[in-house]
Amino acid sequence: MSRYQIDKLLRDLRRDGELAAHFRTDIETVLDSYKLDAEERDLLRRWEIRALYDRGVNPLLLLLAHGPAAGRSMQEYAAMMNPKDRQPGE
Amino acid sequence: MGKVVAGIACSHVPFMASPKQWERLPETERTHLRMGFERARKILEDARPDVLITFADDHFDRCFYDNLPAFLVGVGEEAIGPAVAGFDIPNVRLPIPSNLARFIVREGLEGGVDFAFSEELALDHAEIAPMMHLTPRWDVPIIPIVVNAFAPPMPTPRRCFDVGAFIGRCIERWPETTRVAFLGTGGLSHWVGPPQTGKINEQFDRWFLECLTHRRIDEATGRYARYEDLEAVAGNGGHEIRDWLAVAGAMPQRLHPEVLAYEPLKPWSTGTGIMAWSSE
Repeated sequence: MSRYQIDKLLRDLRRDGELAAHFRTDIETVLDSYKLDAEERDLLRRWEIRALYDRGVNPLLLLLAHGPAAGRSMQEYAAMMNPKDRQPGE
Repeated sequence: MGKVVAGIACSHVPFMASPKQWERLPETERTHLRMGFERARKILEDARPDVLITFADDHFDRCFYDNLPAFLVGVGEEAIGPAVAGFDIPNVRLPIPSNLARFIVREGLEGGVDFAFSEELALDHAEIAPMMHLTPRWDVPIIPIVVNAFAPPMPTPRRCFDVGAFIGRCIERWPETTRVAFLGTGGLSHWVGPPQTGKINEQFDRWFLECLTHRRIDEATGRYARYEDLEAVAGNGGHEIRDWLAVAGAMPQRLHPEVLAYEPLKPWSTGTGIMAWSSE
């Protein structure tokens, strides 16, 4: 798991609106710019934030990138971080 | 000679920059927090500082894993912010007394604290949001110091206290007549991004405030010295107590600590506190 590369992508998505728009419309091209393996690409493609967190990705960066990258609300973020098959905060 | 004239430590939750976010708070909590900031503002005003030295951390907007100092001092001519727009944070521009900033860096490098320094260190919500309430006329020059309290591994809580104490002694050695106040921002307990996001540990917060009020520094810095232990009890945002400890370290005995406000603010998902060290 190249955690640094994922953290770097999240940082860039938070800071660069054009990159975030590109991420939403042509994700493969954006992912090609970072050194990611197939599993990481898949998690990012499906925006599996809980799985990324469980693999050590920085949660602050996940939160900051969530809106720009996924175009989803904070309520959705909280729900995705706490899936129903786990206890809250587990 | 320089003189340390006051210290403030407070939370820096970015919502405090937005009138709409203040309206979300229950009236009692909102009133307590406003009164706390008003008292802190008055303490700073009465202390008449020539410069405000800030200890604040970053949120990956100024530093990143490609280059991440433990203590980064802004030494340029001015500090401009915010580094990244958002949360109703206003644009600000403050002069830096760079001769004093460089003095601190040099004293550190020759005396045991390996400060990093920057000619273009931006301000961020960590400084600007609380300063909107503490120095609303933006008339006090600033020396911003960014403490790594956000990207592990980090300097220990004790190290942050000791670095603050070192800077306090630097001020006493500074040959010019300069009145210096300190501001540390962040915390108290909060979780930003992990599954526990929204949680507040009021018990931890009140324990920490009591430690600082009674100068129980060994306890405040020692109980959760490992960052994993502190994060478990106070959240990834709880690491920011390092900025409070740096202020506590810089304070001379003649300045008395007191808690001005504390509220576990659910709408802001943060244990929100304000402390002051003053001669009152």
